[in-house]
Amino acid sequence: MIALWDSLPVLAQDIAVTLALLLPGVLLGAGVLRGFAPWPLVRAILWRFRGPSVLFVLLIALSVGMGIGLLAQERGLRQGTAQAADKFDLIVAAPGSELTAMFAAVFLQPSDMGLLSGDTYSAIAAHPSVTLAAPLAFGDSFGAASIVGTTADFVRHLSDERIEGRLWRTAEEAVVGALVPLEIGGRFAPSHGTGDAAEPDGHDGHESAVVGRMAPTGTPWDRAILVPVEAVWEVHGLANGHAPERAGQIGPPFDAAYFPGTPAVVLRAASLGASYGLRSEFTRDGETMAFFPGSVLAGLYRVMGDVRQAMSLMALVTQGLVAASVLLGLFILSRLFRRQIALLRALGAPRRFVFAVIWSFSAVLLLAGAAGGLLTGLGAAQLLSAAVTSRTGVAVAAGLGWTEIQFIAAFVSAGLALSLLPAALVLRQPVIEGLRA
Amino acid sequence: MADTEGCADREAGPSGGLALRVSGLTVRSPRGRVLLSLPSLELPGGTLLGVRGPSGAGKSTLLHALAGLSAVAEGTVRWGDTDLSRLDAEGRARFRADQIGMIFQDFLLFDELSAQDNAALPALFRPRAERAGLRARAAARLVGLGLSDTARSVASYSGGERQRVAIARALAAGAPVLLADEPTASLDRAAADRLIADLTGMARAAGTTLVAVSHDERLIARMDRVLTLADGAPVTGAQAA
Repeated sequence: MIALWDSLPVLAQDIAVTLALLLPGVLLGAGVLRGFAPWPLVRAILWRFRGPSVLFVLLIALSVGMGIGLLAQERGLRQGTAQAADKFDLIVAAPGSELTAMFAAVFLQPSDMGLLSGDTYSAIAAHPSVTLAAPLAFGDSFGAASIVGTTADFVRHLSDERIEGRLWRTAEEAVVGALVPLEIGGRFAPSHGTGDAAEPDGHDGHESAVVGRMAPTGTPWDRAILVPVEAVWEVHGLANGHAPERAGQIGPPFDAAYFPGTPAVVLRAASLGASYGLRSEFTRDGETMAFFPGSVLAGLYRVMGDVRQAMSLMALVTQGLVAASVLLGLFILSRLFRRQIALLRALGAPRRFVFAVIWSFSAVLLLAGAAGGLLTGLGAAQLLSAAVTSRTGVAVAAGLGWTEIQFIAAFVSAGLALSLLPAALVLRQPVIEGLRA
Repeated sequence: MADTEGCADREAGPSGGLALRVSGLTVRSPRGRVLLSLPSLELPGGTLLGVRGPSGAGKSTLLHALAGLSAVAEGTVRWGDTDLSRLDAEGRARFRADQIGMIFQDFLLFDELSAQDNAALPALFRPRAERAGLRARAAARLVGLGLSDTARSVASYSGGERQRVAIARALAAGAPVLLADEPTASLDRAAADRLIADLTGMARAAGTTLVAVSHDERLIARMDRVLTLADGAPVTGAQAA
């Protein structure tokens, strides 16, 4: 059985789980409504008590929406960050925090990091398994855009060679990310530092021209300006990585003696196995650390997963409280139409029919609330995603996934089952008292 | 025929409804207080019985007992061959659905539904095979009661029209028994007079047994027999007068 399940495509498994979650609710509904057509009465009751009914639908929608929004947002964030790290197979940096190094190199979050020497860089770049070794240089900005010094090969790799215009040929040329507000042909003067600490006049006299624009990558690099690493070094009054006789050279090979240092080197290896070999080789006490950003993210997701579990537990408790409130509310609401219920009994309606009317009323509120919750959750997730994307540049796409659909399916089934309770309680009310109400 | 203490006789109508036989009926409140004590009451089928008395006399309690709605009852209430005292709540509901039409003081209609849907309300819980017939009878009753444009919501109807819709609902299932609780109390005089004529006329035409609780002497005057209650018990002839 397990083997059969495992052999099913993931989509089939998701559909099967969803149907299994919905099945109890569907069977319940079929059982309760069998032989009856209570809808005209349900519509009449809904319309008569439309104010409280709408309030209940909103309450349920908000409660479900919170759950949906959190689930969708968390998954979107995970996918977005994973996508952002996709082009960064292996990073070598000075020993320290892998997380800090990853945030700096992948997500362009400014931080103080140690530098790798020219000899270290040369050893890395010369390794036979390495197909790309791109030094990174941070520290400058233009407006909200970070300026990152690197190599042309890395820009090709990062953009999958989807570049409008061309790559730089001199240290005074730049390629901008898709979202940087500079046109090709435009010019800019770098500020020293980033964010509020940036000094607009820190690099007086230096100016670069935009010669290309990368296609969108959905990463923080869409908001970055990429320049030859030599440009960053020169602007800071450092050697430019090349011996004086080759001072005009742009890009590797670099001369170790004139290499000012780099906080991180992005590596690509010939194969996955080679990547693991490189990680072992360049993880040296006191000298370098090599790590897979994907692994660091996975560790982060594990921590986030723990937090998510705690949050899920809290959300579950909250959902339970909301469910209890909803049940209580449904019971109170159903007391509003106790006269109508008593009338039906006085006219000879079977208990099962009256039960079906009350249950259907609750079911409509629950289903409308669940549908509203789906829209609310997706809307909230979209807003949050836009906010996160705007702040970090990580393209977070919080769409509707099977997790959310299954969450809704479970909520609907559980809600329909719990709705039996107020329906049963209302039936216990004396008919004569109801007629006199 | 004075078969019950406190029950005054007039000429009985044609027999088509169920006969009623009540014996040793005592209805108590949940706390045990006696709300109604009726030693005996016998009505031939098709009789129109008026029940009168001051407020709190037990009139509505009697009606509820006759409908099998009272939860606390002693004695027997027999409609035709059916002893309601021997039926459980669901059995009594089934009996009401098949044999009893009920009319209430404040109509108890669903304002959001049309006159047609209100009159055919019992169709919603009847077996599927009976629904179309019941709807057709409800429509015919509405026409018979002089109501037109029955597709609009009853919220726009006058009190008299609303009560006529309620009568159509009570008669739609073709019940041989009609129980009416203060059917004219919410109506103005003209509407009440028309309703009295409609109600008694239709009941007599169909031979329906009608028990009407009312303070309205004009309605009481149209009944075949009158039962006067006070303090939960029948009043003897001299007292009743």
